[in-house]
Amino acid sequence: MTPRFIDWIWHIRGNVALAPGQSSEEAFERLSPLFQEINTSHERTDDTLTFRKKKQAPQDKMSIFDWGILAIEPGVDGSTLRYHLTSRALLACFLAPFLFLAIGAATVGIGTLEKPPTAEAKKEAEAAEKKLAAVPMNPIDKFLGAPEPEKPDEKKKKEEAEKAKAANGKDKKKEEEEKKGPSPTPAYVFAGIFATLYVGGRILEDWLIKRLFRKRLAGA
Amino acid sequence: MDGVRVGNRIIGADSPVTVGWENIPKVEGGPFKRAFFTWFQPTMLLALVAFWYYAPNDIAKASTAIWIGIGVKLFMMALEVMSPRHTSWNITWKELVTDLFYVGISYTLVRLAGKYFGDDAMIELIRNAFDWSTFAWFVALPLLLQAFLISFIFDFGQYWMHRGMHNWHPLWLTHAPHHYITQLNVHKGAVGNPVELFLIGLGIGGFFDFLPRAALLAGSLGLAVGIYQHINVRFNSPSWWRFLFNTTEHHSVHHSQDYEGSRSNYSGTWIIIDRMFGTCVDGEAELLGMEGGRRMSVGETMVYPFTEGWRSFKERFGRREPVAVPAE
Ligand SMILES: [Zn+2]
Ligand SMILES: [Zn+2]
Repeated sequence: MTPRFIDWIWHIRGNVALAPGQSSEEAFERLSPLFQEINTSHERTDDTLTFRKKKQAPQDKMSIFDWGILAIEPGVDGSTLRYHLTSRALLACFLAPFLFLAIGAATVGIGTLEKPPTAEAKKEAEAAEKKLAAVPMNPIDKFLGAPEPEKPDEKKKKEEAEKAKAANGKDKKKEEEEKKGPSPTPAYVFAGIFATLYVGGRILEDWLIKRLFRKRLAGA
Repeated sequence: MDGVRVGNRIIGADSPVTVGWENIPKVEGGPFKRAFFTWFQPTMLLALVAFWYYAPNDIAKASTAIWIGIGVKLFMMALEVMSPRHTSWNITWKELVTDLFYVGISYTLVRLAGKYFGDDAMIELIRNAFDWSTFAWFVALPLLLQAFLISFIFDFGQYWMHRGMHNWHPLWLTHAPHHYITQLNVHKGAVGNPVELFLIGLGIGGFFDFLPRAALLAGSLGLAVGIYQHINVRFNSPSWWRFLFNTTEHHSVHHSQDYEGSRSNYSGTWIIIDRMFGTCVDGEAELLGMEGGRRMSVGETMVYPFTEGWRSFKERFGRREPVAVPAE
């Protein structure tokens, strides 16, 4: 058994009060369509129901859950449905940020191995670029007022100016990027996205399943 | 099921496909809503083309295109929630998380791998082995013609690659996972095995570094048309749009559970390429997927081409068990 203090990550527990006088038989009857979905199996005794789902269709209202147990417990002021459900989707989403952090770290690691392009290759590319840039813009585009493409000489001047700026320490990031190759930023952004999705999903799905059970029990 | 005859094929014999524009439901609602869903697509296309045509050099950069792409996708996600096409395709938390996982992998791992031994490395090789100044005549063409040619030629290649995937088993193994999606949503285009992305060539833009503005214009065509391949929103696209361009309707037929339906509408942007080669089916489908709509898990998607490939290999070349002959 996984200890409780971490298993809330992918376990959802809760309870819904039954309407006064509602029997467990009637309650399970009302919930039963949820367990008639494709790839769902379930077992029932008088007051508990255990289900298992795999390869859930997206249209399945309980598609995020893989296993669960529902029990009806009598109490002084009426019966209560207690449920305990597990979700691999929640666990995977919780772990995803770590995967993307690792990818980010790997990107940085690989970048340090990269060699800058050889001077010769650079020269050849520049020569080709220059020739193409010498081609005048089509008269139609001139007439319609499209901006003239930047001449390679201007571009170079601009790049040099930027480099000078970098030397002043103002724009060091850009220079580093050129030296180190691919940026790890997208990986870190996705780590953030999945962390947010996890928090949102843990709250949302907890609320949605409670609402679903409550609606079903009320006969909707 | 009877199906409908399109050309010399029967479409919709295994699973329902609605054939013919006249049979497809229209957006219902007030005049504003109807006008919005009729003119939205052409307006966005025109706006993007005008933007890239006139943007100053400092702004006409790939990074701007990435931000525009993100903005458009966020807007489309909002449209999906506000005006879904089929409620059975509604986005759920789990679907969004899985879709974004594939988006994340293609933005990070696939891009990284591509840089070292995929498209980027190949493009670099080809570029270095070629004198690009022979392309001077192309640069002298009007910008919009350059953009159209880039987009059309690229899509022509994609058409045959995609058609090849549906006809040759080894290629199909890489593309099959994408066909296990059971609904269309904004990010579903990213769902599939990463090997497929290498074949389709995401990094193709790298080829056109020497034509920055034409490449960006071609890219905006891809965005303003391609985005509707996978989306849960209904549009009343004008008939000329449906004639020229790929639409959600076309691509839903391509993803249909109907076998013949899925062998239609291969192009990404220009559906006229399908019209040229007789593979176009004008219609739509709601029931999508393979094997009756079985959802493929992320894990299976990642290993499918290899495990399935190994299985087919063994079946074909493996030692055959002697067939038992029943005694009479
Ligand atoms: Zn396909
Ligand atoms: Zn698709």
